[in-house]
Amino acid sequence: MILKQFRYENLGQASYLVGCVRSKEAIVVDPIADLGVDHYVLEAADRGLAVTHVLETHVHADFISCARELAEAFGADHRLFHTAPVKYSFTPLEDLQTLTIGQVHVQVLATPGHTPEHVAFLVTDRARSGEPWFVLTGDSLFVGDVGRPDLLIGDQALDVLDESERARMQYESIRTRLFALPDHVEVYPGHYGGSACGGINMSGKVSSTIYFEKRFNQAMQQPDAETFGRFVKETAKPFPANYAGIKSRNLGLTAEERTVV
Amino acid sequence: MTPAEVAAAQQSGAVLLDMRLPRVFAKAHVPGAVNLQFNRADLADRADMALSREPAYLVHAEPEAIAKVAVDLMREAGFHILGHLEGGLAGWRAAGLPTATIAVISVDDLAQAGSSLQAIDARDRFEFKHAHVPGASWLSWTDAWSRAGEAPTGPLAVICGDEVRSSLVASILHRHGRDVRLVVGGMVNWNERGFPVEKGQP
Repeated sequence: MILKQFRYENLGQASYLVGCVRSKEAIVVDPIADLGVDHYVLEAADRGLAVTHVLETHVHADFISCARELAEAFGADHRLFHTAPVKYSFTPLEDLQTLTIGQVHVQVLATPGHTPEHVAFLVTDRARSGEPWFVLTGDSLFVGDVGRPDLLIGDQALDVLDESERARMQYESIRTRLFALPDHVEVYPGHYGGSACGGINMSGKVSSTIYFEKRFNQAMQQPDAETFGRFVKETAKPFPANYAGIKSRNLGLTAEERTVV
Repeated sequence: MTPAEVAAAQQSGAVLLDMRLPRVFAKAHVPGAVNLQFNRADLADRADMALSREPAYLVHAEPEAIAKVAVDLMREAGFHILGHLEGGLAGWRAAGLPTATIAVISVDDLAQAGSSLQAIDARDRFEFKHAHVPGASWLSWTDAWSRAGEAPTGPLAVICGDEVRSSLVASILHRHGRDVRLVVGGMVNWNERGFPVEKGQP
Protein backbone atom coordinates (compact mmCIF):
# COMPACT_ATOMS: atom_id res chain seq x y z
CA MET A 1 0.00 0.00 0.00
CA ILE A 2 0.94 3.61 -0.39
CA LEU A 3 0.27 6.36 2.14
CA LYS A 4 1.40 9.90 1.38
CA GLN A 5 0.71 12.73 3.79
CA PHE A 6 0.64 16.17 2.14
CA ARG A 7 1.37 18.93 4.61
CA TYR A 8 0.43 22.52 3.92
CA GLU A 9 2.56 24.15 6.59
CA ASN A 10 1.01 27.63 6.51
CA LEU A 11 -2.25 26.24 7.87
CA GLY A 12 -1.00 23.08 9.55
CA GLN A 13 -3.30 21.19 7.22
CA ALA A 14 -2.81 17.56 6.16
CA SER A 15 -4.31 15.79 3.15
CA TYR A 16 -3.68 12.23 2.05
CA LEU A 17 -3.11 9.91 -0.87
CA VAL A 18 -3.89 6.28 -0.04
CA GLY A 19 -3.36 3.67 -2.73
CA CYS A 20 -2.88 0.04 -3.62
CA VAL A 21 0.30 -0.81 -5.52
CA ARG A 22 -1.36 -3.88 -7.02
CA SER A 23 -4.55 -2.42 -8.38
CA LYS A 24 -2.85 0.95 -9.11
CA GLU A 25 -5.87 2.74 -7.66
CA ALA A 26 -5.89 5.43 -5.02
CA ILE A 27 -8.04 7.84 -3.07
CA VAL A 28 -7.28 11.42 -2.09
CA VAL A 29 -8.64 12.73 1.22
CA ASP A 30 -9.22 16.43 2.03
CA PRO A 31 -7.28 18.07 -0.86
CA ILE A 32 -6.49 21.75 -0.31
CA ALA A 33 -6.67 24.38 -3.07
CA ASP A 34 -3.52 26.10 -1.74
CA LEU A 35 -1.50 23.09 -2.91
CA GLY A 36 -3.60 22.88 -6.08
CA VAL A 37 -5.15 20.19 -8.25
CA ASP A 38 -1.97 19.65 -10.29
CA HIS A 39 0.05 18.90 -7.15
CA TYR A 40 -2.15 15.88 -6.37
CA VAL A 41 -2.34 14.88 -10.04
CA LEU A 42 1.45 14.75 -10.34
CA GLU A 43 2.01 13.01 -6.99
CA ALA A 44 -0.44 10.26 -7.97
CA ALA A 45 1.15 9.96 -11.43
CA ASP A 46 4.64 9.71 -9.90
CA ARG A 47 3.45 6.57 -8.11
CA GLY A 48 1.63 5.11 -11.11
CA LEU A 49 -1.76 5.46 -9.41
CA ALA A 50 -5.16 6.40 -10.81
CA VAL A 51 -7.32 8.32 -8.33
CA THR A 52 -10.78 6.75 -8.27
CA HIS A 53 -12.36 8.58 -5.31
CA VAL A 54 -11.83 12.00 -3.78
CA LEU A 55 -13.08 11.95 -0.19
CA GLU A 56 -13.61 14.67 2.37
CA THR A 57 -13.94 14.12 6.11
CA HIS A 58 -16.28 17.12 6.30
CA VAL A 59 -17.02 20.52 4.76
CA HIS A 60 -14.02 22.60 5.76
CA ALA A 61 -14.09 26.08 7.25
CA ASP A 62 -10.42 27.04 7.34
CA PHE A 63 -9.24 26.33 3.80
CA ILE A 64 -10.68 26.19 0.29
CA SER A 65 -11.19 22.60 -0.81
CA CYS A 66 -10.23 21.48 -4.33
CA ALA A 67 -12.01 18.13 -4.03
CA ARG A 68 -14.56 18.87 -6.74
CA GLU A 69 -11.93 20.08 -9.20
CA LEU A 70 -9.63 17.15 -8.44
CA ALA A 71 -12.43 14.62 -8.90
CA GLU A 72 -13.22 16.20 -12.25
CA ALA A 73 -9.58 16.08 -13.38
CA PHE A 74 -9.42 12.35 -12.66
CA GLY A 75 -12.94 11.45 -13.72
CA ALA A 76 -13.30 10.23 -10.12
CA ASP A 77 -16.25 10.66 -7.79
CA HIS A 78 -16.38 13.19 -4.96
CA ARG A 79 -17.68 11.74 -1.72
CA LEU A 80 -18.94 13.32 1.50
CA PHE A 81 -21.13 11.97 4.28
CA HIS A 82 -24.73 11.83 3.06
CA THR A 83 -25.91 14.58 5.44
CA ALA A 84 -23.45 17.20 4.13
CA PRO A 85 -25.56 20.36 3.54
CA VAL A 86 -23.77 21.35 0.32
CA LYS A 87 -25.35 22.94 -2.76
CA TYR A 88 -23.68 20.73 -5.37
CA SER A 89 -23.99 17.05 -6.19
CA PHE A 90 -21.70 14.45 -4.64
CA THR A 91 -21.65 10.71 -4.01
CA PRO A 92 -23.02 10.11 -0.50
CA LEU A 93 -21.11 8.07 2.08
CA GLU A 94 -22.91 5.96 4.68
CA ASP A 95 -21.73 5.10 8.18
CA LEU A 96 -19.66 1.86 8.22
CA GLN A 97 -19.60 1.67 4.42
CA THR A 98 -16.37 0.19 3.06
CA LEU A 99 -14.64 1.40 -0.10
CA THR A 100 -12.35 -1.14 -1.74
CA ILE A 101 -9.20 0.16 -3.40
CA GLY A 102 -7.50 -3.04 -4.52
CA GLN A 103 -6.29 -4.67 -1.33
CA VAL A 104 -6.85 -1.51 0.70
CA HIS A 105 -10.18 -1.21 2.50
CA VAL A 106 -11.42 2.18 3.70
CA GLN A 107 -14.27 2.17 6.19
CA VAL A 108 -16.41 5.21 6.92
CA LEU A 109 -16.81 6.03 10.62
CA ALA A 110 -19.40 8.70 11.35
CA THR A 111 -17.75 11.01 13.90
CA PRO A 112 -19.99 14.08 14.25
CA GLY A 113 -18.78 16.90 16.47
CA HIS A 114 -16.53 19.39 14.68
CA THR A 115 -19.33 19.37 12.11
CA PRO A 116 -22.50 17.23 11.98
CA GLU A 117 -21.45 15.47 8.76
CA HIS A 118 -17.93 14.63 9.94
CA VAL A 119 -16.49 11.18 9.19
CA ALA A 120 -13.18 9.44 9.83
CA PHE A 121 -11.69 6.86 7.45
CA LEU A 122 -10.39 3.62 8.92
CA VAL A 123 -7.84 1.98 6.64
CA THR A 124 -6.94 -1.71 6.44
CA ASP A 125 -4.24 -3.10 4.17
CA ARG A 126 -5.42 -6.63 3.53
CA ALA A 127 -2.09 -7.46 1.90
CA ARG A 128 -0.66 -7.17 5.44
CA SER A 129 -3.52 -8.01 7.79
CA GLY A 130 -7.27 -8.01 8.29
CA GLU A 131 -6.71 -5.68 11.26
CA PRO A 132 -7.06 -1.94 10.66
CA TRP A 133 -3.72 -0.11 10.39
CA PHE A 134 -4.52 3.58 10.64
CA VAL A 135 -7.35 6.06 10.75
CA LEU A 136 -7.62 9.42 8.98
CA THR A 137 -9.36 11.39 11.72
CA GLY A 138 -10.00 14.68 9.90
CA ASP A 139 -11.01 17.28 12.51
CA SER A 140 -12.23 14.86 15.18
CA LEU A 141 -9.17 13.58 17.05
CA PHE A 142 -5.92 15.52 16.63
CA VAL A 143 -2.48 14.73 18.01
CA GLY A 144 -2.76 16.14 21.54
CA ASP A 145 -6.04 17.95 20.90
CA VAL A 146 -9.48 17.76 19.27
CA GLY A 147 -11.34 19.61 16.51
CA ARG A 148 -13.10 22.74 17.75
CA PRO A 149 -16.92 22.68 17.86
CA ASP A 150 -17.53 26.40 17.37
CA LEU A 151 -16.95 27.14 13.66
CA LEU A 152 -20.56 28.08 12.91
CA ILE A 153 -21.58 30.35 10.06
CA GLY A 154 -24.71 31.68 11.77
CA ASP A 155 -27.27 30.00 9.50
CA GLN A 156 -29.12 27.42 11.54
CA ALA A 157 -30.21 25.34 8.56
CA LEU A 158 -26.59 24.90 7.51
CA ASP A 159 -25.00 24.80 10.97
CA VAL A 160 -27.60 22.17 12.05
CA LEU A 161 -26.15 21.87 15.58
CA ASP A 162 -25.03 24.55 18.00
CA GLU A 163 -21.67 24.71 19.71
CA SER A 164 -22.60 22.83 22.88
CA GLU A 165 -24.31 20.02 20.93
CA ARG A 166 -21.26 19.74 18.72
CA ALA A 167 -18.93 19.62 21.74
CA ARG A 168 -20.96 16.82 23.31
CA MET A 169 -21.00 14.85 20.03
CA GLN A 170 -17.27 15.35 19.52
CA TYR A 171 -16.56 13.86 22.94
CA GLU A 172 -18.86 10.90 22.33
CA SER A 173 -17.62 10.30 18.76
CA ILE A 174 -14.01 10.14 19.87
CA ARG A 175 -14.81 8.07 22.97
CA THR A 176 -17.17 5.54 21.39
CA ARG A 177 -15.92 5.33 17.80
CA LEU A 178 -12.21 6.17 17.69
CA PHE A 179 -11.13 5.03 21.16
CA ALA A 180 -12.99 1.77 20.52
CA LEU A 181 -10.43 0.95 17.79
CA PRO A 182 -7.48 -1.34 18.56
CA ASP A 183 -4.70 0.45 20.47
CA HIS A 184 -2.16 -0.08 17.68
CA VAL A 185 -4.18 1.91 15.12
CA GLU A 186 -2.25 4.97 13.96
CA VAL A 187 -3.88 8.38 13.95
CA TYR A 188 -3.38 10.64 10.93
CA PRO A 189 -5.15 13.94 11.58
CA GLY A 190 -6.51 16.64 9.29
CA HIS A 191 -4.51 19.30 11.15
CA TYR A 192 -1.37 19.58 13.22
CA GLY A 193 0.85 22.21 14.81
CA GLY A 194 -0.30 25.77 14.43
CA SER A 195 -3.70 25.05 12.91
CA ALA A 196 -6.55 27.16 14.29
CA CYS A 197 -8.97 24.22 13.97
CA GLY A 198 -7.89 22.79 17.31
CA GLY A 199 -6.72 24.21 20.60
CA ILE A 200 -3.46 25.23 22.23
CA ASN A 201 -2.50 21.64 23.04
CA MET A 202 -2.26 20.50 19.43
CA SER A 203 1.09 18.84 18.75
CA GLY A 204 3.44 19.64 15.90
CA LYS A 205 3.83 15.88 15.46
CA VAL A 206 1.97 14.71 12.38
CA SER A 207 0.73 11.31 13.54
CA SER A 208 0.05 9.37 16.72
CA THR A 209 -1.71 6.18 17.87
CA ILE A 210 -5.08 5.48 19.44
CA TYR A 211 -3.31 4.20 22.55
CA PHE A 212 -1.17 7.31 23.01
CA GLU A 213 -4.10 9.69 22.52
CA LYS A 214 -6.33 7.63 24.80
CA ARG A 215 -3.77 8.01 27.55
CA PHE A 216 -2.39 11.50 26.98
CA ASN A 217 -4.85 13.61 24.97
CA GLN A 218 -5.74 16.27 27.53
CA ALA A 219 -9.18 17.14 26.18
CA MET A 220 -10.13 13.48 26.22
CA GLN A 221 -8.93 13.06 29.81
CA GLN A 222 -11.93 15.15 30.92
CA PRO A 223 -14.44 13.01 32.84
CA ASP A 224 -17.58 13.88 30.88
CA ALA A 225 -18.87 15.72 27.83
CA GLU A 226 -19.75 18.85 29.74
CA THR A 227 -16.31 19.26 31.30
CA PHE A 228 -14.82 18.44 27.90
CA GLY A 229 -16.88 21.26 26.35
CA ARG A 230 -15.57 23.76 28.90
CA PHE A 231 -12.00 22.54 28.51
CA VAL A 232 -12.14 22.88 24.72
CA LYS A 233 -13.51 26.42 25.00
CA GLU A 234 -10.85 27.45 27.52
CA THR A 235 -8.01 26.05 25.41
CA ALA A 236 -9.29 27.32 22.04
CA LYS A 237 -7.20 29.46 19.73
CA PRO A 238 -8.48 32.56 17.91
CA PHE A 239 -10.90 31.74 15.10
CA PRO A 240 -9.37 30.84 11.73
CA ALA A 241 -9.30 33.79 9.31
CA ASN A 242 -12.43 34.28 7.19
CA TYR A 243 -13.89 30.93 8.24
CA ALA A 244 -17.52 31.77 7.47
CA GLY A 245 -16.58 32.92 3.97
CA ILE A 246 -14.45 29.86 3.29
CA LYS A 247 -17.13 27.56 4.62
CA SER A 248 -19.72 29.23 2.37
CA ARG A 249 -17.48 28.65 -0.62
CA ASN A 250 -16.98 24.99 0.28
CA LEU A 251 -20.73 24.54 0.80
CA GLY A 252 -21.26 25.82 -2.74
CA LEU A 253 -23.19 28.90 -1.53
CA THR A 254 -20.75 31.28 -3.17
CA ALA A 255 -18.73 30.48 -6.24
CA GLU A 256 -15.74 32.70 -5.77
CA GLU A 257 -14.87 32.98 -2.08
CA ARG A 258 -11.19 32.36 -2.55
CA THR A 259 -9.82 35.00 -0.21
CA VAL A 260 -7.73 33.45 2.51
CA VAL A 261 -6.67 36.36 4.68
CA MET B 1 -1.39 20.10 -30.59
CA THR B 2 -4.79 19.18 -32.00
CA PRO B 3 -5.56 15.54 -32.80
CA ALA B 4 -5.24 16.30 -36.52
CA GLU B 5 -1.80 17.89 -35.99
CA VAL B 6 -0.68 14.90 -33.94
CA ALA B 7 -1.90 12.48 -36.62
CA ALA B 8 -0.08 14.47 -39.30
CA ALA B 9 3.15 14.50 -37.26
CA GLN B 10 2.88 10.73 -36.85
CA GLN B 11 2.55 10.42 -40.61
CA SER B 12 5.81 12.33 -40.92
CA GLY B 13 7.60 9.90 -38.62
CA ALA B 14 7.08 11.40 -35.15
CA VAL B 15 6.54 8.84 -32.38
CA LEU B 16 3.76 9.35 -29.84
CA LEU B 17 4.73 8.57 -26.25
CA ASP B 18 1.65 7.58 -24.26
CA MET B 19 2.49 8.20 -20.59
CA ARG B 20 -0.69 6.85 -19.01
CA LEU B 21 -0.87 3.74 -16.85
CA PRO B 22 -0.37 0.46 -18.77
CA ARG B 23 -3.83 -0.89 -17.91
CA VAL B 24 -5.43 2.29 -19.24
CA PHE B 25 -3.15 2.32 -22.30
CA ALA B 26 -4.02 -1.29 -23.15
CA LYS B 27 -7.74 -0.53 -23.31
CA ALA B 28 -7.45 2.19 -25.94
CA HIS B 29 -4.66 4.35 -27.32
CA VAL B 30 -3.57 6.27 -30.37
CA PRO B 31 -2.39 3.69 -32.93
CA GLY B 32 1.40 3.39 -33.01
CA ALA B 33 1.87 4.92 -29.55
CA VAL B 34 4.68 3.73 -27.28
CA ASN B 35 3.68 3.34 -23.62
CA LEU B 36 6.26 5.05 -21.40
CA GLN B 37 4.62 5.56 -18.00
CA PHE B 38 5.12 9.02 -16.51
CA ASN B 39 6.91 9.91 -13.34
CA ARG B 40 8.97 12.97 -12.55
CA ALA B 41 11.87 11.14 -10.92
CA ASP B 42 13.34 9.34 -13.92
CA LEU B 43 11.10 9.79 -16.96
CA ALA B 44 13.85 11.26 -19.12
CA ASP B 45 16.43 8.72 -17.90
CA ARG B 46 14.13 5.84 -18.78
CA ALA B 47 13.38 7.42 -22.14
CA ASP B 48 17.12 7.68 -22.73
CA MET B 49 17.64 4.01 -21.91
CA ALA B 50 14.63 2.75 -23.86
CA LEU B 51 14.37 4.94 -26.96
CA SER B 52 16.41 6.42 -29.76
CA ARG B 53 17.03 10.16 -29.72
CA GLU B 54 16.59 10.29 -33.46
CA PRO B 55 12.86 10.68 -34.10
CA ALA B 56 10.70 13.60 -33.08
CA TYR B 57 8.32 12.71 -30.27
CA LEU B 58 4.80 13.65 -29.20
CA VAL B 59 3.36 13.27 -25.72
CA HIS B 60 -0.01 11.96 -24.57
CA ALA B 61 -0.79 12.06 -20.84
CA GLU B 62 -3.94 12.57 -18.79
CA PRO B 63 -4.85 14.70 -16.91
CA GLU B 64 -3.19 17.19 -19.27
CA ALA B 65 -1.18 18.84 -16.48
CA ILE B 66 1.03 15.74 -16.62
CA ALA B 67 1.62 16.16 -20.35
CA LYS B 68 2.93 19.70 -19.87
CA VAL B 69 5.39 18.60 -17.19
CA ALA B 70 6.45 15.62 -19.31
CA VAL B 71 7.14 17.81 -22.35
CA ASP B 72 9.36 20.09 -20.24
CA LEU B 73 11.27 17.18 -18.68
CA MET B 74 11.88 15.52 -22.03
CA ARG B 75 12.99 18.77 -23.69
CA GLU B 76 15.36 19.52 -20.82
CA ALA B 77 16.91 16.11 -21.41
CA GLY B 78 17.45 16.98 -25.06
CA PHE B 79 14.66 15.04 -26.73
CA HIS B 80 12.98 16.61 -29.71
CA ILE B 81 9.39 17.01 -28.50
CA LEU B 82 6.89 18.52 -30.91
CA GLY B 83 4.14 18.96 -28.31
CA HIS B 84 1.36 17.14 -26.53
CA LEU B 85 -2.03 15.82 -27.59
CA GLU B 86 -4.64 18.34 -26.46
CA GLY B 87 -7.93 17.00 -25.21
CA GLY B 88 -6.52 13.54 -24.54
CA LEU B 89 -8.05 10.38 -25.96
CA ALA B 90 -11.57 11.84 -25.75
CA GLY B 91 -10.48 14.65 -28.07
CA TRP B 92 -8.79 12.17 -30.40
CA ARG B 93 -12.00 10.14 -30.65
CA ALA B 94 -14.13 13.27 -31.06
CA ALA B 95 -11.97 14.12 -34.07
CA GLY B 96 -13.11 10.82 -35.59
CA LEU B 97 -9.69 9.20 -35.35
CA PRO B 98 -9.25 5.46 -34.69
CA THR B 99 -7.82 3.86 -31.53
CA ALA B 100 -5.87 0.66 -30.94
CA THR B 101 -5.91 -1.84 -28.07
CA ILE B 102 -3.50 -4.38 -26.66
CA ALA B 103 -5.04 -7.56 -25.25
CA VAL B 104 -4.47 -8.11 -21.55
CA ILE B 105 -4.06 -11.53 -19.93
CA SER B 106 -3.47 -12.73 -16.36
CA VAL B 107 -0.60 -14.95 -15.20
CA ASP B 108 -3.13 -17.80 -15.02
CA ASP B 109 -3.95 -17.28 -18.69
CA LEU B 110 -0.23 -17.38 -19.48
CA ALA B 111 0.33 -20.55 -17.44
CA GLN B 112 -2.58 -22.30 -19.14
CA ALA B 113 -1.59 -21.19 -22.63
CA GLY B 114 1.44 -23.50 -22.64
CA SER B 115 3.29 -23.46 -25.95
CA SER B 116 0.51 -21.60 -27.78
CA LEU B 117 1.95 -18.32 -26.41
CA GLN B 118 5.60 -17.30 -26.40
CA ALA B 119 6.46 -15.42 -23.19
CA ILE B 120 8.72 -12.39 -23.66
CA ASP B 121 10.48 -11.18 -20.52
CA ALA B 122 11.02 -7.39 -20.63
CA ARG B 123 13.03 -7.02 -17.41
CA ASP B 124 16.74 -6.43 -16.89
CA ARG B 125 19.22 -9.25 -17.38
CA PHE B 126 19.85 -9.88 -13.67
CA GLU B 127 16.15 -10.30 -13.01
CA PHE B 128 15.75 -12.75 -15.90
CA LYS B 129 18.77 -14.69 -14.68
CA HIS B 130 17.34 -14.96 -11.17
CA ALA B 131 13.96 -16.40 -12.23
CA HIS B 132 11.76 -16.30 -15.31
CA VAL B 133 8.73 -18.01 -16.83
CA PRO B 134 9.94 -21.38 -18.24
CA GLY B 135 10.66 -21.05 -21.94
CA ALA B 136 10.50 -17.25 -21.87
CA SER B 137 12.68 -15.38 -24.28
CA TRP B 138 14.45 -12.21 -23.12
CA LEU B 139 13.86 -8.84 -24.76
CA SER B 140 14.82 -6.19 -22.25
CA TRP B 141 12.96 -2.88 -22.21
CA THR B 142 16.25 -1.16 -22.99
CA ASP B 143 16.75 -3.26 -26.15
CA ALA B 144 13.23 -3.48 -27.53
CA TRP B 145 13.40 -0.26 -29.56
CA SER B 146 16.40 -1.43 -31.58
CA ARG B 147 15.81 -5.19 -31.51
CA ALA B 148 12.04 -5.62 -31.83
CA GLY B 149 12.60 -7.31 -35.20
CA GLU B 150 14.49 -10.14 -33.49
CA ALA B 151 11.52 -11.16 -31.33
CA PRO B 152 10.18 -14.66 -31.97
CA THR B 153 7.33 -14.91 -34.47
CA GLY B 154 3.83 -16.01 -33.49
CA PRO B 155 1.61 -14.95 -30.61
CA LEU B 156 3.59 -13.18 -27.87
CA ALA B 157 2.85 -12.45 -24.18
CA VAL B 158 5.07 -9.79 -22.61
CA ILE B 159 5.81 -9.91 -18.88
CA CYS B 160 7.94 -7.90 -16.42
CA GLY B 161 7.80 -7.33 -12.66
CA ASP B 162 4.38 -5.72 -12.74
CA GLU B 163 3.47 -4.22 -16.13
CA VAL B 164 5.31 -0.97 -16.69
CA ARG B 165 8.30 -2.27 -18.68
CA SER B 166 6.26 -5.05 -20.31
CA SER B 167 3.74 -2.53 -21.60
CA LEU B 168 6.58 -0.47 -23.10
CA VAL B 169 7.92 -3.54 -24.90
CA ALA B 170 4.45 -4.74 -25.90
CA SER B 171 3.66 -1.35 -27.42
CA ILE B 172 6.92 -1.37 -29.41
CA LEU B 173 6.23 -4.90 -30.68
CA HIS B 174 2.69 -3.83 -31.55
CA ARG B 175 4.13 -0.98 -33.64
CA HIS B 176 6.06 -3.64 -35.52
CA GLY B 177 2.82 -5.43 -36.30
CA ARG B 178 3.42 -8.30 -33.89
CA ASP B 179 0.57 -10.31 -32.36
CA VAL B 180 1.17 -9.26 -28.77
CA ARG B 181 -0.59 -9.27 -25.38
CA LEU B 182 0.29 -7.83 -21.98
CA VAL B 183 0.52 -9.98 -18.85
CA VAL B 184 -0.91 -7.86 -16.00
CA GLY B 185 0.45 -8.40 -12.52
CA GLY B 186 3.72 -9.69 -13.95
CA MET B 187 6.24 -11.88 -12.14
CA VAL B 188 4.91 -10.68 -8.76
CA ASN B 189 1.61 -12.43 -9.48
CA TRP B 190 3.33 -15.36 -11.22
CA ASN B 191 5.40 -16.08 -8.12
CA GLU B 192 2.46 -15.53 -5.77
CA ARG B 193 0.46 -18.15 -7.65
CA GLY B 194 3.37 -20.56 -7.13
CA PHE B 195 3.94 -21.21 -10.83
CA PRO B 196 7.31 -22.75 -11.77
CA VAL B 197 10.29 -20.64 -12.78
CA GLU B 198 13.54 -21.25 -14.61
CA LYS B 199 16.89 -19.74 -13.75
CA GLY B 200 19.81 -18.88 -15.97
CA GLN B 201 21.20 -16.57 -18.61
CA PRO B 202 19.15 -15.65 -21.69
